[in-house]
Amino acid sequence: MSKHSALNTFGRSGNPAFTRNFENTETYAQSERMTLDGAVNKTAILLALCFAGAFAGWNVPALAMPGFIIGTVLAFVTIFRSPAKAGSTAPFYAAFEGMALGGITVFAEMQYPGIGIQAIGLTFGILASLLFCYKSGIIKPTENFRLMVFSATMGIALLYLVSFIMSFFGSGIGFIHSNGLFGIGFSLFVVGIAALNLVLDFDFIEEGAERGLPKYMEWYGAFSLMVTLVWLYIEILRLLMKLRSR
Amino acid sequence: MNTILFGILTILSLFVFINLGKIKASKKQMDRDDRINWGRKRKSNVRQNRDGSKIIEGSAEEINDEDKK
Repeated sequence: MSKHSALNTFGRSGNPAFTRNFENTETYAQSERMTLDGAVNKTAILLALCFAGAFAGWNVPALAMPGFIIGTVLAFVTIFRSPAKAGSTAPFYAAFEGMALGGITVFAEMQYPGIGIQAIGLTFGILASLLFCYKSGIIKPTENFRLMVFSATMGIALLYLVSFIMSFFGSGIGFIHSNGLFGIGFSLFVVGIAALNLVLDFDFIEEGAERGLPKYMEWYGAFSLMVTLVWLYIEILRLLMKLRSR
Repeated sequence: MNTILFGILTILSLFVFINLGKIKASKKQMDRDDRINWGRKRKSNVRQNRDGSKIIEGSAEEINDEDKK
């Protein structure tokens, strides 16, 4: 009997950004293989593009909505249509999503000055501390860990989707947006799950490099990390806004 | 003060990420039996026979009636 009884019962599961591309691993020449250095460098490039996009969004907040829509479409295209072309789509995703984040941050800054830099600092602080915890083996991602994080992520996505649809009918799930104790607790939970998704990203990149996956997976790993970082930043910004509005 | 403090945190964290990210994870992290099986399909230990009956793979164990007595 396997140790992972939940997996035996419910089957293997995982973030769609990670699960589709590890099949049919062939042997590649050393220069064509994914490396840790390459994945980190590509993440740095995407972060730089995101900051450049955010600069544009900050100065022209009207770019926020088109940036968000185009960024989301590019994310879905990269995940479901062409992971091998992540090298072409991920930089555009980072730039457009950066525009959206720049615009959102301007609105948050107008209400609560200084909140943007706090959210950025906390996002990267969490990134660095979780990376240390992962590399040193303090946090050990297992199949059950992945199942738990994936289920919670999907649950949150479903809740947001229902809330979004209900908003068209003048209704909504009030507590998730409130600044009461329950609303802040919910935001804390979402920030926690978004942060745990980073651990899955690190493990994905680490194992990809270890197994010598093709070079384009460096872009794909960097893209996965960016998606999680964007989500984490937005959730931290929401949490800080709730705290400051009390 | 707020900007300086969180600005330093951002730069420091990015520096840690870029340097630590390029170092391989510890042995404690890599040499585990319960690591995530990214993308590899989990093999089922139950197969189906041509007549529809199920074959469960695994090590056979001898049942000794005398042990029960």
